[in-house]
Amino acid sequence: MAQKSWMYSVLEAVQYEMREDPAMTWIFELTPPVASNPGKPVINLETEFGRKRCVNTGIDENWMASAVLGAGLSGSKAATYIPYQGACIPFEVIQNVAGKLRHMTGGKAEMPVVWVIEMTGQTPGFAGQHSCYEEDSYYMHIPGIRTVIPSTPYDAKGLMHAALRSPDPVVYLYPAGLRTLTEEVPDEPYEVPLDKAAVRTEGSDLTIVSSGAGMPDVLEAAKMLADEGAGIEVIDLRALKEMDTETLVTSVAKTKRLLTVDQSYYTLCPGAEVIARVAENVDGARYKRVAFPDAPPPASPEMFTWMRPDVANVVEAARAML
Amino acid sequence: MKDTHDTAPERQHDDTLSSKARRRFLKLAGLTGAAVAASRQVAFAAQGDINFFAKDLPDEKLIDMYRTILKIRWHERTQADEMLTNTEYRGYNHFYAGQEAVATGVCAALRNDGPFDQIDLVYSSHRPSGHAIAKGVDIPTMVAEMDFRATGMNGGYAAEMHISDPSVGFIGADGMIGPAPVIASGSAFAMRARGSDQVSVVFAGDGNYAAPHFHSTLNNARLLDLPFIYVCENNLYHQYAHYSYSCPHEDIATAAASYGIPTIVVDGQDVVQVYNAAREAVDRARAGGGPTFIEAKTYRYYNHWGAPGAEAGKLGAFGYDPLAITSFRPEREVRAWMQRDPVEIARNILVDWGVMERQAALDMEEEVKAEIKAAFEWGLSQPLCNPEDGLKHVFAEGTVPPRQFG
Repeated sequence: MAQKSWMYSVLEAVQYEMREDPAMTWIFELTPPVASNPGKPVINLETEFGRKRCVNTGIDENWMASAVLGAGLSGSKAATYIPYQGACIPFEVIQNVAGKLRHMTGGKAEMPVVWVIEMTGQTPGFAGQHSCYEEDSYYMHIPGIRTVIPSTPYDAKGLMHAALRSPDPVVYLYPAGLRTLTEEVPDEPYEVPLDKAAVRTEGSDLTIVSSGAGMPDVLEAAKMLADEGAGIEVIDLRALKEMDTETLVTSVAKTKRLLTVDQSYYTLCPGAEVIARVAENVDGARYKRVAFPDAPPPASPEMFTWMRPDVANVVEAARAML
Repeated sequence: MKDTHDTAPERQHDDTLSSKARRRFLKLAGLTGAAVAASRQVAFAAQGDINFFAKDLPDEKLIDMYRTILKIRWHERTQADEMLTNTEYRGYNHFYAGQEAVATGVCAALRNDGPFDQIDLVYSSHRPSGHAIAKGVDIPTMVAEMDFRATGMNGGYAAEMHISDPSVGFIGADGMIGPAPVIASGSAFAMRARGSDQVSVVFAGDGNYAAPHFHSTLNNARLLDLPFIYVCENNLYHQYAHYSYSCPHEDIATAAASYGIPTIVVDGQDVVQVYNAAREAVDRARAGGGPTFIEAKTYRYYNHWGAPGAEAGKLGAFGYDPLAITSFRPEREVRAWMQRDPVEIARNILVDWGVMERQAALDMEEEVKAEIKAAFEWGLSQPLCNPEDGLKHVFAEGTVPPRQFG
């Protein structure tokens, strides 16, 4: 156990699985699979496993996404790291091929593959084609694909182990804004389930549900509200597909108030699905969504930081419900 | 390319290119019997001044090209200085310094003034500041845009990676690897369909070769004989990876030629050679002769990008890059390319051709430097954006509701 950075925690899991399975491959472009951490050996997948198994390609996300699918279909475990600039280029092969294959083949297709897909653009100034925090909505919509989104280094490692061991294809969303987080992360392998939400704080007055990059602000807001005497139950979705309906329903059945917080666009943000599932199962509750407006993120920090949901927005929306 | 002006370093480099091209041509011709488009250089060598369009240009045009190169260079240098010294400055840039002759030479061959439905269109996929200046955007408003100002070229919505000004035919940048060439070929498709003699041009880097878009663009441009020019700026690196990681050919033009498209490999540091190549391509496109692929061998002086808070002397020529894990290119390589500086080369040509006295050319640099300084002073004194304006321009009319308040 040691304080570990996000990327070190993730690559520790990948390194372990690649050592266990000599057929497993890793495809990357531009972002070398290298991480260091104080007091720990440097991880460099490229030098450790060689360029046959760990390959730096040209900038071609379509090939990367399709190649791991092909590797999986040929019987090899495979993963790829798609950086932000091509975050939806793999969509076609994941949505129209991978998501349908198992069902379409009557259960015959095997796809032990993981697409690590960066979400970026939370830094003011990126904007336009360099902002893709809405892709959680796109990928969580696909049947046959497990879509997860960690918000802590601990979960990042555990979900990576689970994703690489899963027989199902997994879209593993990586909110790049969280890359600076560090925490105590075990050295040994462990799994975080691909279909379980996490209750981060318990309370009986209001349930706040968020995921990924929304979590740090939500936890800070919950602390402020708790200081004011409110009992806030914070749920971190972690799994967008299959969504953990039971944990959500159990919580709101108790609090009768549900606030969802997303960095994604308002329309079809993960919170929209959360509210729909809870509303089908809980009577007499109140609901509210905080999300990014249905507008592309602009470059100007003045416009962008006003539009992006922050701690103050969450606190105010919560107060209005309490 | 044919050697054209009497300065030793260029001659040496040109000869190298030319003999390489000749060897490749002979090999190809010998092996396949196909006289493919890589024969351009050989044709020039055999035909003397034919296709040497730059020599027929009026002095004012040549001086204007030199001035454009200076504008781009001093925009880059002034901005880099802002990053190093001005703690208030917020803009970032994917630097174009070192590549000025490519944008300048190509855009000098285009129609840049007139109604929108008659001017040629330029798509800049990446490193757009040079393309934008060469196409004729207003520099002060571009400076304001890069610092996120309300009165910037795009109202502060775009910033450096996404600047655009259709009024001068600069459709803009997306900062992506992939989509721009395909979209640019779509503009060429429309031009041909409506019987216009306009030309659509895309600037894309060596990194774009690996994307499927590259191949789709060239295939369709050739199949439909589109008035389209693909300018491949091969500056050897996409971000921090040498282009040999993504392309097996020494000349990317080799791959383009296999789509049946005329290709030209040109010294991207020499503006008149770039102009000659572009002029040939433009003439072909306007005459209904279809697309051309130009590969300009060039080099970026600075790192992949620069941002405020840069520190001089750290990591590479500009000195700052948050993503650079190690020094990715040899210092000697940077220095060697700097010996063939597009500003120097352009200046020498003007002096050698008797277009300008050396002192006048040097004075012009001081003039441009002051002009750019004034552009930064104006740009950085512009008002910041209103937060609520982020809800505008989603559709042609109206605003979208705020959703961040619940």
